[in-house]
Amino acid sequence: MTRMKPLKLAALFALSLLSSAASYGTASAGEVVWWAPNWGEARAKELAKKFMDANPGITIKMEVTVSNGLPERVLTALRSGSAPDVIEVQHGWVNGYAQGDMIIPLDDVIQDKADYVKAATDYVSWNDKLWGIPYRIETHGIIFNKDHFKEAGLDPDKPPKTWDELTAAAKAMTKSGRYGFGITGGGEVGNTIFRSLPFIWMNGGDIISADMKTALVNKAEAVKAVEFYTGFYKQGLAPKSTLENDGLSLRRLFIAGQVSAYQSGQFDLPAILQENSKLNIGAFTIPAPAGKQTAAILGGWSYVIPKAAKNQAEAKKFVQFLNTTENQGFYTDTFPARNSSLKLARFNDPMLKPFAEMLPYGRPVPIHKNWVKIVQAYFDGIQRILLGDQTAQKSMDQAAEEIQALLK
Amino acid sequence: MRPNPGLLFVLPALIVLFMLIAYPVAYTGILSVTNEQGQFTGLQNFADVLRPRVTTQALWNTLWWVGGSIVFQVLLGVATAVLLNQTFPGRAIIRSVALIPWIIPGIVAATTWAWMFHTEFGIINYMLTGVGVLPEPIGWLTGGQTVMPAMIAINVWKLFPFVAIMVLAGLQAIPQELYEAARVDGANYWEEVRHVMLPQIRPVIVAVTLLLVIWGLNAITIIYAITRGGPANRTLITPIQIFRLAFENVEFNQAAALSVMFFGVVMLIVLVYIKALANQPGDNQ
Repeated sequence: MTRMKPLKLAALFALSLLSSAASYGTASAGEVVWWAPNWGEARAKELAKKFMDANPGITIKMEVTVSNGLPERVLTALRSGSAPDVIEVQHGWVNGYAQGDMIIPLDDVIQDKADYVKAATDYVSWNDKLWGIPYRIETHGIIFNKDHFKEAGLDPDKPPKTWDELTAAAKAMTKSGRYGFGITGGGEVGNTIFRSLPFIWMNGGDIISADMKTALVNKAEAVKAVEFYTGFYKQGLAPKSTLENDGLSLRRLFIAGQVSAYQSGQFDLPAILQENSKLNIGAFTIPAPAGKQTAAILGGWSYVIPKAAKNQAEAKKFVQFLNTTENQGFYTDTFPARNSSLKLARFNDPMLKPFAEMLPYGRPVPIHKNWVKIVQAYFDGIQRILLGDQTAQKSMDQAAEEIQALLK
Repeated sequence: MRPNPGLLFVLPALIVLFMLIAYPVAYTGILSVTNEQGQFTGLQNFADVLRPRVTTQALWNTLWWVGGSIVFQVLLGVATAVLLNQTFPGRAIIRSVALIPWIIPGIVAATTWAWMFHTEFGIINYMLTGVGVLPEPIGWLTGGQTVMPAMIAINVWKLFPFVAIMVLAGLQAIPQELYEAARVDGANYWEEVRHVMLPQIRPVIVAVTLLLVIWGLNAITIIYAITRGGPANRTLITPIQIFRLAFENVEFNQAAALSVMFFGVVMLIVLVYIKALANQPGDNQ
């Protein structure tokens, strides 16, 4: 390569440009087009190179995606009939693609299904078939400021385990412009759903029934959980800005030392330390009502193979390569979906332990065509409580009425 | 008889106009009376979209938003124009500086204001509590009573320079002789403003206000970027509701139905406005 004449090089370059232009978006024989999100780009490149070295007949062509607008972009590609061969999508989207007959089942691709966290494989199953291979899973835990704990006379090694203990700890830490426990009440709806719905689940309630016919959000269990969640603001234990705070604002307030604890995923940990490495932070699992089990919304990403993919056989082979114990553990940003991958040294960090402990309690959100509207109605209800317009019961009664109309 | 050559010449422009205006309007109309499968459903979409309480709330919010914005935009704009019409040193610079809010892209302004209004980090609360005007921070964007006035204030700040510039142009077109005649008759400054300036710039104000009404009714950037219509729909205006229906809930048919109704309401407002103000008797335009 180094001795090649400049002209020859230029010609080669032009040729490669031409071929890549011609194959944009669709694959030629032996080529697997892989849509990978930008946050894992470096690792994705490494994996692609490894695979190509081991399989000389197959070329992996990476196209880097960004999270903004990704659902629309994937849907357009899947519908257009000229789709890539492997796409990384969020677990929650997979079911819709399966029902729309846009992706192929992957029961013959998954290796050692028993090794996977069941909640993850359940999430991407429909009609007794598996439609995606989950490779990254995560839930929220609670991130807290250990120094604030100590100042309030609490033991950071014995974090709260129950709702009452969490409220008591928040009360103890709230003083002079500092708030014990930050909740969200603004921004994108998802922020508040991720943080408040698990409390409803822990208490045995739900937003809608399992058969998706009845709104349950105004039942006693749900209302009690909503009261618990909004109570942090009502009792002055969450910042005054709660109604304009999303997850990102909470993180900023936490970094500024104005919030002592808040719910988030482990992806916030490096971000916090990067901004303020002096913070003495820890994490614990989300407290449940006394005698009940904790819960969380399961988030994360899966691989799917579109029905319109040109090279399905090669794509399947590549997906299998990506999901070996080692590669899955290497590629994920948060946690892998395979229990064997979770044993890798990388996940040994004691700070990650509470987040790993939360994983078995992760649950999928219901798959309903009106889900976006349903959570909007619920979120409006939460805001009415925070604003002081209505009591929790009244507000959830109204939300239930609106949600019921969406379930027909 | 030969076809009208004039018609042939304008045909290309007509076709483009048709594709860009008539087709989308007609298509919205069709969407509003069909379901997702394209079957005719009569007024079902209209009924579905009118049922939730939030639709009425959004309409009231919209009127409150447009009305509040326009009153202050016009008052502040005219006052600024009268001020900038005086001769004083540095006038050119002040005139340029006054235009800045209008030049800043809406999304940039909105995001900046959102941070300035923030309860905890915001500079507004920081300054007001710092000098002791407020005992403790106010949740401007989180209080049910303050959030819409805050939005209106941002909108006024954003558009009053436009009013000022238009009115200023009108002021400069007033012949000097009119002022001189008024002075000969013994008018003082305020009588000059009332009997010479304002009548002369009335057509400008009428036209600018109409533009402001239309922009206000379509304005989505400021509110959507700051509150997304919240908290609890306090700042949800109809255009945002349409946007939500179409692009967040993927209910294009209901969104189209709401658009059609909103279009009707807007047309009504504009018609009444033009009838009442633009063609008053005695108007020597």
